Amino acid sequence: MKAMLYDSTRCIGCRGCQVACKSWNEQPARPATFFAGPGYQNPADLASTSWTVITYTEVEQHGRVDWVFGKLQCMHCNSPSCVSACPVAALVKTDLGPVIYKPERCIGCRYCQFSCPFIVPRYQWDKPVPFITKCTMCYDRISNGGVPACVKVCPTRAMAFGDREDMIREAEARIASAPSLYLHHIFGRDEAGGTCVLHLSSVPFDKLRYQASVPTEVLHHYTDMVGIEGPILSWVVGGLALGLSGFWAFAQRKAEVANSEGESQDTTQRPG
Amino acid sequence: MTNHFVDMKNADVVMIMGSNVVENHPIAARWLEKAKEAGSIVLNVDPRFTRTSSFADHYAKLRSGTDIAFVGGMIRYALENNYIQREYVLHYTNASFVVGDGYDFGDGMFAGFDQGARSYDKSKWRFLLDERGLPVRDMTLEHPRCVFQLLKKHFSRYTPEVVCSITGTPIEAFRKICQVYSSTWAPDRVGTWLYAMGTTQHSHGTQNIRTYAILQLLLGNVGLAGGGISALRGESNVQGSTDAGLLFGVLPGYLKSPEVDAQTLDQYNKKYTPVTSDPRSTNWWGNTPKYITSLLKAWWGDSATKENDFQYAYLPKRSGDYSHMALFEAMYAGKIKGAVFFGQNPAVGGPNSNMERKALEKLDWLVAIDLFETESSIFWKRPGADPRSIQTEVFLLPACSSIEKEGSISSSGRWAQWRYAAIPPLGDSRSDLAIADSFVKALRKEYASGGVFPGPIVDLHWNYGEGHEPDVHLVAKEINGYDWKTKKQIVGFAKLGDDGSTCSGNWIYCGSYVNPEDDALALNGNRMAKRSRAYVYPDGSNDQRAAEAIGLYPNWAWCWPMNRRILYNRASVDPRGKPWNPKKAVISIIGEVADGKYSTFKWVGDVSDGAFPPLQNPDGSLREDGRYPFIMKPAGYADLFTEGLVDGPLPEHYEPLETPFLLEGRHPLSKTMHNPALKLWTTPEVDDFVKSAEEAKRYPIVATTYRVSEHWQAGAMTRNLPWLCELVPDVFVEIGAELARRRGIVNGDRVVVRTPRGEMRAYALVTQRFTPFRIGSGGRVVDQIGIPWHWGYAGRVRGDSANLLTPHVGDANTMIPEYKAFLCDLQKA
Repeated sequence: MKAMLYDSTRCIGCRGCQVACKSWNEQPARPATFFAGPGYQNPADLASTSWTVITYTEVEQHGRVDWVFGKLQCMHCNSPSCVSACPVAALVKTDLGPVIYKPERCIGCRYCQFSCPFIVPRYQWDKPVPFITKCTMCYDRISNGGVPACVKVCPTRAMAFGDREDMIREAEARIASAPSLYLHHIFGRDEAGGTCVLHLSSVPFDKLRYQASVPTEVLHHYTDMVGIEGPILSWVVGGLALGLSGFWAFAQRKAEVANSEGESQDTTQRPG
Repeated sequence: MTNHFVDMKNADVVMIMGSNVVENHPIAARWLEKAKEAGSIVLNVDPRFTRTSSFADHYAKLRSGTDIAFVGGMIRYALENNYIQREYVLHYTNASFVVGDGYDFGDGMFAGFDQGARSYDKSKWRFLLDERGLPVRDMTLEHPRCVFQLLKKHFSRYTPEVVCSITGTPIEAFRKICQVYSSTWAPDRVGTWLYAMGTTQHSHGTQNIRTYAILQLLLGNVGLAGGGISALRGESNVQGSTDAGLLFGVLPGYLKSPEVDAQTLDQYNKKYTPVTSDPRSTNWWGNTPKYITSLLKAWWGDSATKENDFQYAYLPKRSGDYSHMALFEAMYAGKIKGAVFFGQNPAVGGPNSNMERKALEKLDWLVAIDLFETESSIFWKRPGADPRSIQTEVFLLPACSSIEKEGSISSSGRWAQWRYAAIPPLGDSRSDLAIADSFVKALRKEYASGGVFPGPIVDLHWNYGEGHEPDVHLVAKEINGYDWKTKKQIVGFAKLGDDGSTCSGNWIYCGSYVNPEDDALALNGNRMAKRSRAYVYPDGSNDQRAAEAIGLYPNWAWCWPMNRRILYNRASVDPRGKPWNPKKAVISIIGEVADGKYSTFKWVGDVSDGAFPPLQNPDGSLREDGRYPFIMKPAGYADLFTEGLVDGPLPEHYEPLETPFLLEGRHPLSKTMHNPALKLWTTPEVDDFVKSAEEAKRYPIVATTYRVSEHWQAGAMTRNLPWLCELVPDVFVEIGAELARRRGIVNGDRVVVRTPRGEMRAYALVTQRFTPFRIGSGGRVVDQIGIPWHWGYAGRVRGDSANLLTPHVGDANTMIPEYKAFLCDLQKA
């Protein structure tokens, strides 16, 4: 099983990964204003078009201000709740490690969104036929012997990719070599029963805006029963989801009209 | 850079000052990360805690514009504690030279200043020469007028207390930086110094770099792996363009551009060819006549003959300042009729944008060549302008991007790397070369029927193929140079002649494109296209282990001069030829020793800086055929004390033109507030600086400008890319939390920043990463803010340019604008 190791202490917050992710996965940019999160963070959180987001946090440590970076993305759980919650098996845990998504099976129930302890899957509210989106660990790349796009582009090798056991060993070795630098915790080794994305940090993981309170127990038992009802349930929730999308599209259209009226003015004159 | 990017991994200590390398050169961070992994310590000094500071082990803040005070204090620390590599200093620098009686220094002023002309008489700073014309040296370094003692005296005033009262640095943080960095005085411990525009863009920018060079020399860090001075260039091919003569003071290959008093080639050669009476000094610039003649031959070909001075008369002779600001001053005054902007966007990038944008209105015509419509190409419809009143005719020529064309690109580390076109040019766009080629061909057609001075144009040797597009390989071959008769490529600049037998468009690139039979690893002789990890040199010599250990990669691309990856590498060995740092030897000797003397010898490792033997034999006896390692200096020694700069032989701290110390009327080191030799303009619209204590109260905040990872320069290339616009859509001002609280500003507010030149609006980014400085003896609190300058009124995302605020004043030597330190006021909009 493969895994990614993200080392926050090596990250420089350049966001080459955020752009590489959009480039490889052909995701568009969304209009933005200023910064939606602390520091230079954009967008505010993971989105249907943003499968990974770098976070910026100013912290006091060792008596001085420091600036630390985090990387939000799918954790690719070993026992994924989203897979067990999905009534139609649209989400699949692969042997290679990534949890991937089969849109042709998806009925838009969004149970995966509610079941995910890391709050990762996003819904395409802006599409007439919306799907769930999230990081695939670039399954198309790694199943052909490559590495994920974000890993490939990282200038400081803040991300490593390899067999999960090797990544854990590497993480342990880094902590052992710089015990005063690192938090002695490999985030993802045990969380939710273990994940295929592992994180190292010098500050508590909630400071990087991770779901740090996720317990170490396997969580998918809580969502296993959902799949029982199978096809019947799928029609019910599918219909519901379609209706919600309609509402969302209507609201969005209103917002867009308002926006485009604003855009015709020179944006340098944008009111404060 | 004396060294190169890969070499950063060899450093034991990395100092990053005046550069935000991690944000603005993220790929360089790959090699810094490797250095850190190997246990090296990274230091960062910057007014603001940046992504680079977060990467560093130790950070110290300083107020913008006070580098000389800071590094002057580091120099004092090294000298007082004797943390210097004495043997290196003694043998390779001019520390032992005795300075003549004319030199003096007092209260911030050097001897020889002419108040009226605002310039120094540099003859006052000359070295004492003996009867043979050689510098008088004191090898004990005790002579009161030897450079070492003068240096010691000069910087003795830079005590930690005085330094920190200028820079606003917490004294403990300053001491920590001094301690860690000066540890590299040990011969086997090496520090590299990274800088960029945070150092250069000051009215004393060149002297900022001088302080770095002096400290690096005292610590014995120049010429070694993991050492040197690393100038990180602001754009990917800025190195290549300055190599090619982009700046007004130089021709290709850093040959001096002629001044009016050099009317003939003979006068040029006399004026610009340095001489030495020391037989042990290589004085490489002594070859100037060969290089200028080969250049003239490349430009005017068969028409350039010995009889007509190789058409030297065709070169324009300068009589003044043609730097960016001087050109815009002239444009503003209506003296310039037309302009061509090749990938330039001065309406955003130039200082005092309001003035420079107005200057563009005086042009009859403007040609803008760019990938996108830029602020400069649409200056006539900018906010607030009335297009009906602007008569300039503007042409926008679509250029293609780097992936649509073939050619070389030179990195900061002097590597010329060949690139191929990935796709054909999109739409009607064309390569810069194709555009320049059509330009010249059209001009020649016009001038064929006569004109005011048709010679330089009609006689141009212009033969880059007959196809629709010029052949970039023919251009590269001419830059390398060839024998005029046989048309065979020249393999190195030692083979260039001053008799018209050879041509070379840029002597430092001679060796980049040779004959196919000269280099088995280079396809068709194009060494810039080499992509091999092999370590075998063409002459068969090989030092695989050494080359691998320090990452020379000599067969990956090609590097000027002569594929030498580390400049001044003969200073990496002691006078007897033994590497100071054997673990990371750059060059070492293979040879036989008889009776304590080298009987045979050869340098292996990097391409040595000349094939000369070391200064001494293993037994310490002098070798007459040895040569000093600093071959580009006439005397052969590195300059601790220099006669080369217009504003002083030693660096001295001066405040930026706009300084909070206007309130005190002086700064703690002297009553000389500003660089006395800096150039001021007289145009009333431009002479709008904060000059008095009264005005300094109205504009109490120090401001600086910079870039972010996500945008590029004036923004045309990135503010048109949706993904990057999503990351950083709007211009913002970084404001310390304390200042924000005092001004009632919260994160995300709109704010207005004002200087006497103009005002701009932006979002407020309130941060802990900017904290107030305490300056002067009383510890007065001064705030600083910072603004990225990428925005303008063209492109997908728009905003005010930070250069609406910056002043039209430049460095005394280079005329680079002082973008990095000025005064402003800030309010909630």
